[in-house]
Amino acid sequence: MNEMVERLPWYRRVPDSVLWVLVLSPLLLVLFFFFLVPLGYLMERSLLPYVSGGLPSSGPYTLENYRAVFGDPWYWRLLGNSLWLGFMTTILSICIGYAVAFYLTRAGSWERTLISVACLLPVFVNVTVGILGWYILLLPFGVLQQLFSELGLMQGPLRWLRSLWTLTGVLVYEHLPFAILILVSSLQNVPEDKINAARLLGASAPRILTSIMIPLTMPGIVASAVLIFSLSVSSYLVPVLISGPRTPVIPISIFSFMSELVNWNMAGVLAFFLMLTVAAITYGFIALTSRLTRRGQWSVV
Amino acid sequence: MLGLRIFVYVVVALMLAPILISLPVALNSSNLIQFPPQSLSLKWFAAVFQDQQLMTTTTRSFGLALIAAALSVAISMPSAFIIERKTPSLRSLFETIVTSPRTIPQIVLVVGFLIYFERIGIYESLTGLVVAHLIVSIPFAYRTISVSVSSLDRRLEQSSAILGAGPMTTFLRITLPLMKTGTIAAFIFTFILSFNNVTIALFLAKLGEPTLPVEMFQRMYVGGMTPVIPAIAFTLAIVGAVLFIILDRTIGVFKYLGGGK
Repeated sequence: MNEMVERLPWYRRVPDSVLWVLVLSPLLLVLFFFFLVPLGYLMERSLLPYVSGGLPSSGPYTLENYRAVFGDPWYWRLLGNSLWLGFMTTILSICIGYAVAFYLTRAGSWERTLISVACLLPVFVNVTVGILGWYILLLPFGVLQQLFSELGLMQGPLRWLRSLWTLTGVLVYEHLPFAILILVSSLQNVPEDKINAARLLGASAPRILTSIMIPLTMPGIVASAVLIFSLSVSSYLVPVLISGPRTPVIPISIFSFMSELVNWNMAGVLAFFLMLTVAAITYGFIALTSRLTRRGQWSVV
Repeated sequence: MLGLRIFVYVVVALMLAPILISLPVALNSSNLIQFPPQSLSLKWFAAVFQDQQLMTTTTRSFGLALIAAALSVAISMPSAFIIERKTPSLRSLFETIVTSPRTIPQIVLVVGFLIYFERIGIYESLTGLVVAHLIVSIPFAYRTISVSVSSLDRRLEQSSAILGAGPMTTFLRITLPLMKTGTIAAFIFTFILSFNNVTIALFLAKLGEPTLPVEMFQRMYVGGMTPVIPAIAFTLAIVGAVLFIILDRTIGVFKYLGGGK
């Protein structure tokens, strides 16, 4: 037995566990040192007091930055804007994406490529290309908007609402590809015979949708909702280029703290705040949907 | 179904609209951004290649994306393979760990990078940019290669073993070539994601050396935008569309990008 082992080449004599550690360690080390550690620094910086000039201070840990954020209604307004954008973008993207994904599963080869190219382009091309296009498209509307407000047909609040809806539209444009990608593979896994059976039994189209398709594609819906919410809440370019100071959101504030005001402490607080909010909502959403699924109303057909 | 069809094509039109509109604006002979254009001229498309700054930033973006894609594929491939083959029970856990950078808003990551890089001295350097792109691309590369490995036909490897090839030979001559498609797909997708990434480059690049998306953004935000920007935007869109069509027809985009986040 021992002689057999000795005749094996070196890579067969090394025990498996050592091999695994060797192979997996570069990846894990990279993730640890360049992902977890920066996040740790981020949290630490948010707890340090601000030193003018933006230099890192080694002073005592303090919560004054957090107090500045939570006590100021301005930041709650930012949060409100960000969350509103997130929810609206997610809901719209999933509704539109679901319809398009459904159509794609039943489309012919070239039609499918055509629709895919159009709908997935924002991922393959720059964010700035899409924003530029929308900016140009919205310019005439911008002019119209000013005209209306001069004639007294539009007041201040209406303009603000208009602005958020515009942002939502562009954000949906940017993130629809993700919804479609995830939902297409999810819808492809719905067995056709279940739908046919339901139709034979006389179910109407809305009924088929709610009792068969949505439950079976729920994981895909949840995955794309979570992804799009996170992406749209943290979007910086779209708000700053499309509506600028009219609709302040958290990422804009983070950017200004980082580059203009060079107050990385506050930037850290806001970034951390953003991350926790997204994580909390994501977790709540997943918990909610898994509770609904387990209640038996969504039992697989 | 007709209603759905009309709806889908309306969506298609809206998705194509912003890209299509950059064409007439780019063909404008005056140097203003206006629609409809006064008179048509192709000069701005020529100007794209004459604009030193644009060409430099494009090269920079290209190089950065190349390095980031190559590194992230190189680092994810062994791990994806080992996890898929040797420990399928750990797969879920490992996949969660590896894809965790993508679950955090990118801007949060970038602030963390900024603070950390300044501490260790790679702030505003190429190394910093590459590292940041790497962290953000690895989840993607890992998952794509993982999907590819799990769909390999084990029987081919078994046949090779039955016919007398040792494990190393089987691995080098059968398994690796079979993984080629998935690896190439991972590389291309990671490349595209890195090339188009704005958030990271915006915060971490040196002030005078932006990448292409950042340069475009700055001209749009700060000012100084002439129709050369819609010209390059439209060019990028055409390149992206052609690339997508080639990929979809050969590798199949949905198969690789679709599974999950």
